[in-house]
Amino acid sequence: MSRISLALAAVLIAVTLLGPALAPYDPAAPVIAPWQASSSGHLLGGDVLGRDVLSRLLAGGRHLLVLSLVSAGAATLVGTLGGLAAGWGGSRVLATGADLLLAVPVLLPALVLAVALPGDAAVVVATVMAGAPLTLGVVRDATAGVREHGYVRAARLRGERTLAVLLREVLPAVAGVLAADLGLRFVTALQLASALAVLGLTDAPATGDWAAMLRENLAGAALNPAALAVPALLLALLSLAVSAAAHAGLRHAFGTGDSW
Amino acid sequence: MTAHEGLRADRIRVTGPSGRVVLDGFGTHAKPGRVLALTGPSGSGKTTLLRALLGCLPPGLRLAAGSVSWRGRPVPTGRAGRRWRLTQVGWLAQDPASTLYPWQPVLDQVIEVLADRGATGTAVRAEAATLLERLGLDPALHTRTPGRLSGGQAQRAALARALAGDPPLLVLDEPTSGLDPDCARLAAEAVRRRRGDPSRVTVLVSHDRRLVGDLADEVTEIAAVAPLRDPAITSRRTGTPAVLTVHGLVLDHPAGGSPLLTADLTLHVGELVALLGPSGSGKSTLLRALAGLHAPAAGTLLLSAADTTGPLPHPASERSRAQLRRIQLVGQNPRDELNPAHRAVTAVARPLRTLAGLGRAPARAQALRLLSDLGVDAEHAARRPGRLSGGQRQRIAVARAVAPGAAVLLADEITSALDAATTTRLLDLLDRLRADGLAVLLATHDLDVAARADRVLRLSAGTLHEQDVSAHP
Repeated sequence: MSRISLALAAVLIAVTLLGPALAPYDPAAPVIAPWQASSSGHLLGGDVLGRDVLSRLLAGGRHLLVLSLVSAGAATLVGTLGGLAAGWGGSRVLATGADLLLAVPVLLPALVLAVALPGDAAVVVATVMAGAPLTLGVVRDATAGVREHGYVRAARLRGERTLAVLLREVLPAVAGVLAADLGLRFVTALQLASALAVLGLTDAPATGDWAAMLRENLAGAALNPAALAVPALLLALLSLAVSAAAHAGLRHAFGTGDSW
Repeated sequence: MTAHEGLRADRIRVTGPSGRVVLDGFGTHAKPGRVLALTGPSGSGKTTLLRALLGCLPPGLRLAAGSVSWRGRPVPTGRAGRRWRLTQVGWLAQDPASTLYPWQPVLDQVIEVLADRGATGTAVRAEAATLLERLGLDPALHTRTPGRLSGGQAQRAALARALAGDPPLLVLDEPTSGLDPDCARLAAEAVRRRRGDPSRVTVLVSHDRRLVGDLADEVTEIAAVAPLRDPAITSRRTGTPAVLTVHGLVLDHPAGGSPLLTADLTLHVGELVALLGPSGSGKSTLLRALAGLHAPAAGTLLLSAADTTGPLPHPASERSRAQLRRIQLVGQNPRDELNPAHRAVTAVARPLRTLAGLGRAPARAQALRLLSDLGVDAEHAARRPGRLSGGQRQRIAVARAVAPGAAVLLADEITSALDAATTTRLLDLLDRLRADGLAVLLATHDLDVAARADRVLRLSAGTLHEQDVSAHP
């Protein structure tokens, strides 16, 4: 199961990154009649402006993927730093702040931010707001759990500074949990990026992205259903594949294979 | 008739991930009202056999052939198996304290087990409290979480969970290895009470031949157990210079009130000193205080081997590198002594770099040399702890501590999770390091281990007494 999901995630990510080079037509230029159904020359037909849907699909994943990865990375980084500090110092201040942030429904600030900031920046900031508190909680508990372990004590007894102990001993010990957590933050980021794109609040490139295609092609769903269904399917698959891979990572992280 | 068959395994074969056979053609039978003992040295497959019997082999291992039945029916697996183990099986695992939930008071954990085994009503709470008290845990400790109990007290709480509700099948995995003698006696008493009751089956996994001889009705031997070395042949050292002198050390009780302990002691070069005492008496705290991890209320430490003058500062963070490298601590739990992310050689090379000031390559080479001296070959040295046995991990932890040139090794129950043969090898290893002048202060519950010491200190009622070794049993 985990292998299938990992393979699926790898294929999807490869196609998404290499897609623009594989597109048979210019994804930004009209080449056929609007919403023309699929034909031999245009496998998935045309979109609202008569652009080739297949070419736009191949070109339209990279922006979303990169944006989601950057957002997820930022959320995990902020959450990890906060979690290490909270778990090591034992202070309740950071954790309480994180819990308060969690109480805010994330779409609300995301919408406000999307109006005030460039769309992509809004996605990053909103993902950090929504994801970092969760990561912080996970990393805080993991850090507090290993604080009294023998290897951390041994590091203190050889005079290592706190930062070195955190980076050399604590962080590698909780790395499996972090990898899994990064996957979960990616799903959050993808959902936020898609939601804002569907609402037309992000700056999608002229070649389009999958979420923007949902908005553009909604009106023509009866004429060319593929223009609406396939991007929706790809979004769902990408998020499924990454979250399944994250869960596989999580099981690995909790070491159920580490038998005595 | 079949209803009284007990737990029976017929010709079971357990295979690993690549089809490697771990156990083959194994049969055993735990009869009602009797006590079955499974014995064998570390690594012979005792725990694997036990897990096969209970239908919960770890991932990667599977039952390839044979059958296991409980009262004439196959032992269920998966969800039904979990239900069966919850309601029918009391299981004291090898490292019992680690089976407790860290964030829940121990009393609630015992109540939960009683509820799983069918107890209802208001008397459950009282029953759980009575059981904990019978095992020597004061009511004041019942509301504590395992982290706020001493190692021995947590083991008692885990024993209470195994015994709660007098389960039809009781399984004790190495009950004497980590428990202090009092607690081991309580476990043995519980087993003795079950003997002869036809509705109760008991399985005991142990390398302790005394315990097995005392309790078991039937014995299934997986492989021969190596005998402990005769303590009489151990040479006793006297007359070497002092390396660590402790004057008027006072440790406060965490709850306040009268001090936990006061201690004066001297360690001499090359000496093995055993520190005995009941659980919760402060053995670990004393070692932590000497290592600089626990602030004492008063007292001076003098480390004559350090290239410095004046007393040793109390907090480890204020000690110089020369002082740190001379006095090191190894803890009791092989599960968490080594970082799961670091290879053995990396763990040993690190202190050589930070404390002995070696470069990357020389530190690595010296770490490999030290590990091979201590019986860990290059192939195992390149492994991470997840793929090393408990005995290997403890040897690596000792290597990490002594690598930068320790003069004093504080060893906190380092043998408690190990079987007799592995313990003997670890103590032999300490003997070799002591021949080079290392002084070892070893906290232990195990009288056989203490019998190998040059001197025995007993910690009771907050004071240290020197025990006459010749009168030692």
